[in-house]
Parts: sequence; C-alpha cells; structure tokens
Amino acid sequence: MKLLWKLLRAHISVTQFAGFFITNLIGLTIVLAGIQFKEDLKPFFAQGDSFLKDDYIVVSKKVSALGSLVGSTGGFSDKEIQNIEEQPFVKTTGKFEAARFRISGGLKMPGTNLSFQTYMFFEAVPDRFLDIKVDEWKFNENTGEIPIIIPRSYLNLYNFGFAASRSMPKLSEGMIKMLRLDIFINGNGQRAEYKGKVVGFSNRLNTILVPASFLTWANSEYGAKENEEPVRIIMEVTNSSDEKLASYLSSKGYETEGNMLNSGKLAYFMRIIIFMVLGVGVLICLLSFFILILSIYLLLQKNSDKLKNLMLIGYSGFRVSFFYILFAVSLNLIATALSVSLVAWLRKLYIAIFSEMLPDINFSGISIILLYAFILFIIISLTDLFIILGKVKGIRNNK
Amino acid sequence: MDKILLEETLPSVFKNKTQSSDSEIWLKDISFIRGRAYLVEAASGMGKSSLCSYIYGIRNDFEGKIFFDNENIGKLRNSEWNHIRKRSLSMMFQGLSLFDELTGFENVELKNRLTHFKSKQEISEWFYMLGIEDKLDQKVSLMSFGQRQRVALIRSLCQPFDFLILDEPISHLDNENGRIFTSIMTEEVKRQNAGLIITSIGKHPEMHYDQILKL
Repeated sequence: MKLLWKLLRAHISVTQFAGFFITNLIGLTIVLAGIQFKEDLKPFFAQGDSFLKDDYIVVSKKVSALGSLVGSTGGFSDKEIQNIEEQPFVKTTGKFEAARFRISGGLKMPGTNLSFQTYMFFEAVPDRFLDIKVDEWKFNENTGEIPIIIPRSYLNLYNFGFAASRSMPKLSEGMIKMLRLDIFINGNGQRAEYKGKVVGFSNRLNTILVPASFLTWANSEYGAKENEEPVRIIMEVTNSSDEKLASYLSSKGYETEGNMLNSGKLAYFMRIIIFMVLGVGVLICLLSFFILILSIYLLLQKNSDKLKNLMLIGYSGFRVSFFYILFAVSLNLIATALSVSLVAWLRKLYIAIFSEMLPDINFSGISIILLYAFILFIIISLTDLFIILGKVKGIRNNK
Repeated sequence: MDKILLEETLPSVFKNKTQSSDSEIWLKDISFIRGRAYLVEAASGMGKSSLCSYIYGIRNDFEGKIFFDNENIGKLRNSEWNHIRKRSLSMMFQGLSLFDELTGFENVELKNRLTHFKSKQEISEWFYMLGIEDKLDQKVSLMSFGQRQRVALIRSLCQPFDFLILDEPISHLDNENGRIFTSIMTEEVKRQNAGLIITSIGKHPEMHYDQILKL
C-alpha cells in the first residue's frame, strides 16, 4: 500500500485542497450554525413565552379627553367585537374581564411585624391566550389560594429601576414565586380573605391575571355592577406584521399595547435572515464541493497514465481509487468535525446572552447539528466515492 | 486457461487494406495452446502490439472474435480482467509500462504484492543473474532501455500465468544478456507449464518454437 501511495500522491496540489478545505469549512460552519441558531431560537418562536412569536395582539380604544368628560367607558361593544372577528387576519378574540370589586394585597415580612399593603386589581383572559404554561391555573377552594400571573415588566421595573437606584437586593423570579400574598376582597357588602401566589410572569399580557373561572365566580359573588363592556381585547392574528392589520386598527382608532406589531415584524425578518444565511452557507458548500471535484478530476487526469498502468498489471479500479477516496473523505471528515466544534464554540457565546434574557428556557443542545453534520458527511463522502470510481473507470476505458 | 483462439481477427484500421491477406494470423482462425511456444514475426506497422493489446484486453478496435477457452473476451467484465491479469495472463509490454519514479525493485514489488508469488530473495537473484543487481534501488528513470527491459521481464514473471506474452522483449539487449533473459524466462514458463507468445521484428530469443507465424 505504501508503494501505491508513493505513486499516486504525485501531483496532489496543496493549494487546491487547502482551497477546498477552507471553503468547505466555512460553508459547513455557516450551514450548521444557521441550523443550530434556528434550533436555539425555536423556544422564542414556538413557546408561549415568546417575544418573537407575537401573533397575539392586545387592543384598546384611545383614551381621549372628550371621552373622559362625557363618561364614555371606552369599552368594546358586542358589535365591534364581532366586526373584529370577521376580519380575515383575525383568528380568535378574547375579552379581558375585569374584577368588579375592591382588592387589596398585603405582604408580611416573616419574623417581623412589618407588613405592606396596597390596592390591586385583577383581570382575566380566556386560558388559551396565556403565554405561559402553568400547572395549576385554577383557584384552589380548599387552601383558598389564587394563582396569579404578573407582567414580567413589573419585576424588571423593580429590579432594574427601583432596586438598582436604591441599592436594594434584586428579586429573582424564583423568589417571587415563593412569596404568599394576603388578598383581601371587598364588595357587595361582603369581605373575604385569600392567599395569592405568583405562578408565572407574562410578556404578552400587561396586567395582573387570575384564572378566568375564578374571576367570573368572584364577580358574581362580590361584583357590584352588572357586566361591563371589556376595555381591552386580546386577539390572535395570522401574521402580526400584516399591513392590512395595521391599517384596520388605525382606521378604527384602536391602539395596540407595547410594540407587538413591531415584534411580529422582527420575527418575520429574523426568519428571512436565517434562511438567507442558510442559503449562503449551502451555496458556499456547493462551491467547495465543486472545487473538490475539480481538484480530484485534475489529479486523476494528471496521474491517468499511472492509474492505467496499475490497472494493466492487475490492480482493480477500487484499489487504485482507494487513496483518493480516503483522501477526500478524510479532508471532509476533518472539515466537518472542525466546523461542528466551531459552531459549538460560537453557540456558547450566544447562548450565554440568550440565557441572560430568558433564564427559564432549556436549550436543546447540539445533537441536531451532529445529526445534520453526519448526514452531510455521508452524502458528500458517497458522492466523492462515486465520482472518483466513475472517473477511474473512465480512465481505464480510455474515455 | 488452456487455449487462446483468434477467430478472423483483424484490426479495424486494416479493414480496407489488402496487405493483411498474406498474414498467417489476421482474418484466420488461430489457436495458441498452453504449453507451447509461438513466435510472431512481422515488419513494423503490421499490428504486433495491437495483437498483444487485443489479447490482453486493453483495446477492442478489431473485427472478428477472440476466445479464452470458450469465453468471448469481449464479454469479460473489468473485475474478470483484473483476475485474469493476476492469475492467467502475463504481459511484457513493448513500451514496458514501468513507473519511472519507483526503483527497479519497487516496480517488481508493486506486482508481486498483488500476487504474493515470489520471495524477495528470488527477485534479487534474478536482478543479479541479469546483471542489474545494482539497479535494485535505483529509479527506473535513470536506467537505460535495455536495463528497463530486464526489470520488466522480472515483473512479468512475478505472477502465476497460463500464457506469457512478450512484445519485442530483447530489442535492446546484447547477446549475452539476451541468452540469460531467455533461459530465465523459459525456465519459469516450463515450471508453470505455460504458453509463450513472443513478437519480434527481427531480434528474438534463441530457443525452440513450436510454431512461427508471420503477421
């Protein structure tokens, strides 16, 4: 075998194969990084607690000076809601139900006599509009414990605004979830005491949420007035970056909360960018593959006399091709392994940033690119194999 | 393989020429039998090397048919040719087909590794007998054509064969080396009980031939 290699390695051009190796490495790295990045972004796109997948929009009517003076409630009538639901870009809508009784919440500091108390409000939306999964999103009558979801922005406001400026300790989400609030309800001539437990933080819903079933019951029990028109509506839309949606909302004079329309556009552009990057990566991979094939063709052509002679003295086509196949596959293997490690390293960098943004999310790991890298490696290697064997056969048959 | 049969064979380029009518091989039915020695004589340009190439399966630009025993060689697959060239048919090419960048010994060893037929000692002995023992480790590119012919002969003997085909084997050897060449070659052919086909345009190994054919 050593003799064969001595013969056949002649004319191997280091520059050509270095060219292949580097382009292959770059192409593979881009493709694999794109796939990995897309995979890591999946939680942002797919999970409820997501700033990218905002196909949910909360709308309200503009609060105007005139409206306030004439005592308009600013609520949505049944007719208006029906009109919204009839729009083609709206999938479903849900009403915000507000508590029609007085609520105050208190907190006792354990081991001291210190306690805080504040007025609060509750709202509820149908469960399907919640952006987080909570195991027990139900009022527990036995313990009198009400599950509560608060906006994540409240916590951020405290941690990054208030606590930072007063040099007070920051509170983690886990700590907040351990606290038990004393909830006092007043209304309809009745008074009741419950326990409140924060079970989650929402990015989508900018209010203090309790289960809809609890609020409906509590409104009938303690509620002072009859049903009021909802002032806010949540709706699920097909595509929040849709132009028609934006023009419909502005024509009706509705306002959206936060920058939900913008984040929809962001998600849309994000996807386009990832696909573009993947496309560029695939293109570079293809180019590198052509470089490899051309280099091998050239190499085989330059060594064609020797290959022919070897086959004349009885060497099989496979045996004389073996070194070239081994060479191409080894180069490919090294490039693949290197690009996987490169992607793994890159991933470490961005995952660190992601985790700071969303500590709750478990990222899936790099098994996906290992799989893709393996599949690509097999495909490229097999193609190499067939191309080299075909070319050697052509040389043997004087083609 | 006990018989090589040529059935009205003719190089395609000779199709419209009359000169082949004198030939004792072209357009005739000729058998080469294992165990016998044949000398094919011809002036240059009559297709000696073509004949060797047809039998060895390198070219197929001929009319008629060639059979190994009863098998039409036009139907052999590459893998079958590989086997035949390792086990049944050995050839010393007129152009020798040695590898310039390898030494004399490496050229022989390249074949011997495929067949595991001769020991290193036997090979060295042949180099010694043919007076080229100092060329064992010298690159072929630095050898004269006569020295290369001797290396090519040794290579062609490093395999089992039913037929040995030598295409103008001693054209560049002096008489003494030609004699040694002939004795080594005939001894190996006899040992393997093989058929021998030698082509020549004049100078050929001095030995007994069962049949001399004019091409």
